[in-house]
Amino acid sequence: MMKVLVLGIEEFIGQRVAVALSRCGWAQPFGDPAGIQAAGLEGVIPLSGTSAGSASMVAALDCIDAVVNCVSSSPRAVGDTAQRLFTAARQSGTPPLVVHISSMAVYGAVEGSVDEDTGLTGELGPYAQAKVAAEGLANSYPRRIILRPGCEYGPGGELWSGRVARFLVAGRLGDLGAAGDGICNLVHVDDLASAVLLGLDNPAAVGGTFNLAVSDPPTWNEYFLRFAIALGAVPVRRISRRALALETKVLAPPLKILELALKKSGAGAAVPAPLPPSFLRLACQEIRLDCSRAGDTLQWNCRPLDQGLAETAAWFRQQQ
Amino acid sequence: MIVSAHELTEGQTLEADICIVGAGAAGIAMALALIDSPLSVLLLESGGFEADAQTQALYEGGVADARLHSPPDRYRQRRFGGSTTIWGGRCMPFDAIDFEARAFVADSGWPIGLDDVLPFYPQANRLCEAGAFAYTASTAFRVPPRPMMAGFASTNFTTDALERFSCPTDFGARYAHKLRAARNIRVVLHANVTQLQANSAATHIDALRVQTLQGRQYTARAHRYVLSTGGLEVPRLLLASRDRQPTGIGNAHDVVGRYYMCHLAGTIGTLRFTGPVDAIHHGYDVADEGVYCRRRLALLPETQRAQQLGNFIARLHHPRITDPAHRNAVLSLLFLAKAFIPYEYAKRLHGDEIVSTRQWLAHMGNVAARPFDALAFAWHMLRDRKLAERKFPSIIIRSRANLYSLDFHAEQQPNRNSRVTLGTGRDALGMAQLCVDWRYTPSDVDTVQRALALLARDIERSGIGRLDYDPATVEDEMTRYGAYGGHHIGTARMGTDPRSSVVDASCRVHSVENLYIAGAAVFPTSSQANPTLTIVALALRLAAHLKATAKPR
Repeated sequence: MMKVLVLGIEEFIGQRVAVALSRCGWAQPFGDPAGIQAAGLEGVIPLSGTSAGSASMVAALDCIDAVVNCVSSSPRAVGDTAQRLFTAARQSGTPPLVVHISSMAVYGAVEGSVDEDTGLTGELGPYAQAKVAAEGLANSYPRRIILRPGCEYGPGGELWSGRVARFLVAGRLGDLGAAGDGICNLVHVDDLASAVLLGLDNPAAVGGTFNLAVSDPPTWNEYFLRFAIALGAVPVRRISRRALALETKVLAPPLKILELALKKSGAGAAVPAPLPPSFLRLACQEIRLDCSRAGDTLQWNCRPLDQGLAETAAWFRQQQ
Repeated sequence: MIVSAHELTEGQTLEADICIVGAGAAGIAMALALIDSPLSVLLLESGGFEADAQTQALYEGGVADARLHSPPDRYRQRRFGGSTTIWGGRCMPFDAIDFEARAFVADSGWPIGLDDVLPFYPQANRLCEAGAFAYTASTAFRVPPRPMMAGFASTNFTTDALERFSCPTDFGARYAHKLRAARNIRVVLHANVTQLQANSAATHIDALRVQTLQGRQYTARAHRYVLSTGGLEVPRLLLASRDRQPTGIGNAHDVVGRYYMCHLAGTIGTLRFTGPVDAIHHGYDVADEGVYCRRRLALLPETQRAQQLGNFIARLHHPRITDPAHRNAVLSLLFLAKAFIPYEYAKRLHGDEIVSTRQWLAHMGNVAARPFDALAFAWHMLRDRKLAERKFPSIIIRSRANLYSLDFHAEQQPNRNSRVTLGTGRDALGMAQLCVDWRYTPSDVDTVQRALALLARDIERSGIGRLDYDPATVEDEMTRYGAYGGHHIGTARMGTDPRSSVVDASCRVHSVENLYIAGAAVFPTSSQANPTLTIVALALRLAAHLKATAKPR
């Protein structure tokens, strides 16, 4: 059995990767004990010294064959984890194989068809900068695979599923007109997890970098419509430029401040989620991830979008 | 990239693989379809982003009979986005029968069939923001909407046919960002094409003369040229380019400008339903995409063939607005608000009828009698039409008395004597102005008369009500406002025989190897359908043809 440490196991992607590993029959997932508990995962072996607070990961890596770095909760966590991981991996007696999950954010505001050789830029903000820096560290480590997924959706996903579903149900998202003409490079979280497994099991993938997204990505407008249909949140509304400007420029800042204040104070009162300007920037960005390398090298396939959206909608309804 | 001709060096030659003239629905659709192709595209547009009176005046011209046709500078817009900037948004595809050669419709028959256009309709629908390409109530909705007229049974008409509504989409405003970002597209605004410069045999276009209203001149050169300037401006440009061919480019057989068609439309009769008010649903249903859809009474193709009629549809409509006898506060409010409604819509809403002071007072009385109806309607129009990006398409008045009139829209049959020619006047750029001599024939009147008679009979036989109208008034009603505004069809018709057509099945001018036409000018017949969706579909088809056959420099 391949012993695989999952970093960020309490997060959306880390959980699904751990589940996929525990089910594959040839790998044994390990993770931070607190993270396993927080995620309520079964079949994952707790491994001390892997949490964000641990000074060094060197000792923990001694018993590990491979690491999957799924941390993406904040720019700081991304940077710190990558620093600790690759430092420890280099110091390890048997350097583990590392699957580093990056993001399409590293491509910045570029448009058109984008393959893995496209230059990286951190121009989209601190998160993208942290991901670019983390890839820099990963590239200095030979036994690594970098995965650059698009927008991860699927059951349990908050950013591109739960939040979008709530916006659709509330009529705050829908048909955005020109503002939604960008390409929505979705990737189902379980398809991302399957790419992790394919990489771990394929020596030819080592040293490689792979874009991951559905093969025929919809525009954001199409995504909103198809997801709204799956959710039963139809007819979708045409959201005017005026309304979008109001949402992102007038309402978003105070909502964000209120959200942070309530979180800090521990108050349980919910406020409507802000629709950040960065979301709208992405929705009009015509970037199309070229995923042919993942198909050719990893033999990676992803599920039909409508199937994934149906699963996600079912999860959302259950949550509601 | 989008630039203004004012930014270019005077005398400059603009070069590209494909030069498209006119950035309206067809021109922009083509340019969008050519983005990221290996072909460089030059899109020349006379206007700018905003309406401009001087530019619009370039459309001025004459009409043979002012009662039958609006002035040529009305119902079309000379600016980026073209006439989509004032478009009503009604979309529907042509029917298969429209493409057929019908013995009972003179000069009918396209060299292509519906199957040739069908692959392009879904994308055309998307560009028009009209949702899915589903034009029957039974396919457009997961839950079938309630019937249009419960109990109506007919072997001649269907109520399953739908029309879908665009936002309406101003192609210029909606797609400028894509054209601006495209690496192989160059849009030049304020660039008026005033002449097609052909070789000595007039078989090849060498260049275009381009002028600005400020007196600058340029030349445009391309491997292939596409005219997408609309059904009136296309023949004008062809006819005005006569330095090599005295009768105009592509006009060796005197076909350019002939067969000019619009649609025959009007409102007639009183339709009284006898069942419950809820049994009638004449308003809009909303599809999943948020698109407004409306049922229509469509004359079936079997009946068209059996009865030898042109294509025809009808909708339930409110009573005539100008007559205050309807006692409807909303309709009277619309009458009183005439000054605030754009000309293109006000004309059909109110006509040019002279209304007496007494009638004005009666309208005010109607509003005063039901002020809350008027207020609710005003709020609905403000929220759902004025402020909304997807606009509520039209005025729907639910009749408490189950009384309606009938709004019809019929095919106009090709008529060689209905034509546009060059007049004697000149525009500010020195181009000859147009003279429009639109004509209809007894066959057109016959189509409407007999289709209405069939519909009246089927309604009565169904036992759901009664349509009363005076058959003798049909011709007056269908020409009350003249030719249906904005539908300029057939002036460079498609066909296989150069003696009776201007372009071939690929929309190439028969006698010119590198000149194409996109737009309703190429339609050999007019269908019952509003033309925009088919204009866009044919433009996409032409773009696909150019992509497949044109070689980049």
